[in-house]
Amino acid sequence: MDDIVIRTENLSKIFEKGKKKEVTALDHVNLEIGRGEVFGLIGPNGAGKTTLIRVLVGLLTPTEGQAWVLGKNVVEDIDYIRPRVALLPQEAGIYERLTARENIVYYGGLYGIPEDELHRRADRLLDIVGLREKEDYQVKGFSGGMKRKVLVARALVIEPEVLFLDEPTTGIDTIGARVVRNLLKKLSSEEKRTIVLTTHDLNEVSELCHRVGILNEGRLVATGKPSELEEKYKAANLEEVFTGLVTGEGVFEG
Amino acid sequence: MRIDSKTVWILRKEIKSVLRSRWLLLGFIISPLFAWTFQGMFLGFIVEQAVEPETVYITLEDEGGWGQILNSSIATQVALENANLTEKVLLIEQLVPVERSVGQSLWDNRTASVWLWIPSNFTEILETTNHSTIQIAVNTGNFRASAAAARLAEFSRIIINEIQIVRNLWIAWEVPTTAEASYGHQLAIFLVMLTSVLAPGPYVSKSFAGERDKHTLEALLVVPMSRLKILGAKLVAGLLLSSIYSAFTVVGIVLYNWLIITRATSTVPQEAAAYIDLYSINLNTVPLIVFVQFLVLLCAIGIGVVISCLAKDQATAESMNNIILLVPTMIIGILGFTGSILQYGGIFGLIVLAIPFSHAIIFLNGVLSGTATPIGLLGNVAYLLGFTIVFMIIGAKLFEREAIIA
Repeated sequence: MDDIVIRTENLSKIFEKGKKKEVTALDHVNLEIGRGEVFGLIGPNGAGKTTLIRVLVGLLTPTEGQAWVLGKNVVEDIDYIRPRVALLPQEAGIYERLTARENIVYYGGLYGIPEDELHRRADRLLDIVGLREKEDYQVKGFSGGMKRKVLVARALVIEPEVLFLDEPTTGIDTIGARVVRNLLKKLSSEEKRTIVLTTHDLNEVSELCHRVGILNEGRLVATGKPSELEEKYKAANLEEVFTGLVTGEGVFEG
Repeated sequence: MRIDSKTVWILRKEIKSVLRSRWLLLGFIISPLFAWTFQGMFLGFIVEQAVEPETVYITLEDEGGWGQILNSSIATQVALENANLTEKVLLIEQLVPVERSVGQSLWDNRTASVWLWIPSNFTEILETTNHSTIQIAVNTGNFRASAAAARLAEFSRIIINEIQIVRNLWIAWEVPTTAEASYGHQLAIFLVMLTSVLAPGPYVSKSFAGERDKHTLEALLVVPMSRLKILGAKLVAGLLLSSIYSAFTVVGIVLYNWLIITRATSTVPQEAAAYIDLYSINLNTVPLIVFVQFLVLLCAIGIGVVISCLAKDQATAESMNNIILLVPTMIIGILGFTGSILQYGGIFGLIVLAIPFSHAIIFLNGVLSGTATPIGLLGNVAYLLGFTIVFMIIGAKLFEREAIIA
């Protein structure tokens, strides 16, 4: 990988629950993601995917180890990183009393993008996600999938160099999910934007991601291209690799 | 803190959201209007009830002709009215003749709401100088008594002037005095306190808790703005919305006054101007009321920020808000409305004084009743502001924690 955009070194995050109990959410994670790469983070619930993303966007401070995004340290240089990255959280909420367009434009405005430019970008994104006709409706009447499309558009309006998407297509219908996937492919291949996404849809990972990382109990247990992992673990598909590594059944390193 | 374009951006969004929420609108615009208008209508209704009959005690000491004429004219009029034989002018339920000492005793122990005393030298002075004085003692806290006394005074003037037009009857009014601000201003203190913590405080206290509840906080915290600026933007939004609230409080006070004065002037004669003064609010004091309201709002917002950062969700924020803001405010407001907040001693008195909103009441009451000292007033303002600043610093510290997104 000639242009590393995201790098972690022995990254750990421990949460203190009460005075005595500690929960290790990330356990010495070492990871490198290159420019223009679509990287899929997969793992069971509570594996540490969301925590890893939160550390990379500066919402959480690592307990141990270090992380760099765009060559800058996520603790010391977060002011450099923030304008260049976008986050679509797992349970991303939406301002229900604002319209679809207002939600997109509002978020972009917080990045200091001029309003005229924001409206031009919103026009394009609303066309792409198929919500142009509903742009002036308050989103409180939207379905879950429509809201998710607005949120994807909202994350893209700042034209980030790195995009962190926590389950971006959850709740979107098949056609909508296809639209979002094609958009992400285009952003990666044509605009060389780096995308880190988490999902439970392994078909989506196989289709979209150049490489995947499998997280289990805070540890990064495997990384590589889906085909490489299938070959390495002599599995028929990614699902077998994932299940084997997480449950410890049926998969043996070749 | 400098208000930059991103802060303005958040402000625009907050205001847009509030204007699109009918419940928040109810809180910010309708609630002060409703509270004041309702009070105005309620008191106007009570003023109107002043035409109900009232018991009047009368003491006749004058053995001369004019005192006798006045006394018998009143007694005859009351008898005719109660037998429905003439137009109701006096509306006296019962006219009770009493000795002066008895009348004085009834007045002192507040049994008598209206006591008319015709002194022994009434006729003598009237015939010598063409003007003389009767004394009417009236409890102005009693609407019906005030109105009955005013009608009695007017009727007495007519009786005396019927005989010889140049003659003049003077009325020596006796009303209870109080060190407190007037009823209207005490009502203002109570309503300002109550309505101030009813809308803007909860708005701020639910602000971040609501963002967390709706999962919008995480995305907000990764934008290239410091958390302090985000917090500041929310605070400025709270203050801006509070100014809308204050503006409608002023409109409410004007409406309240209009309702009281309209009703009062249509039912109570000119002599009862003091009666209007008692219930209406001097509009010259409105800037002072708005100033105190601003201090209360600021303090409520400071407390709201801490609640917002501590509460895990909106429902918790609402519960905390009720316990921390609403309950003490109700207690303090009622204490301020019913009597001097400074009259309580011991631990309870200290607790009352520790509550910042008490100082708003003490400040307003002191200024309106003319009993305040400059040092006392400065102390009240300093306590309120100090409390606000401490809470805002605590809120800012809490907002910087990682746990804010947990």
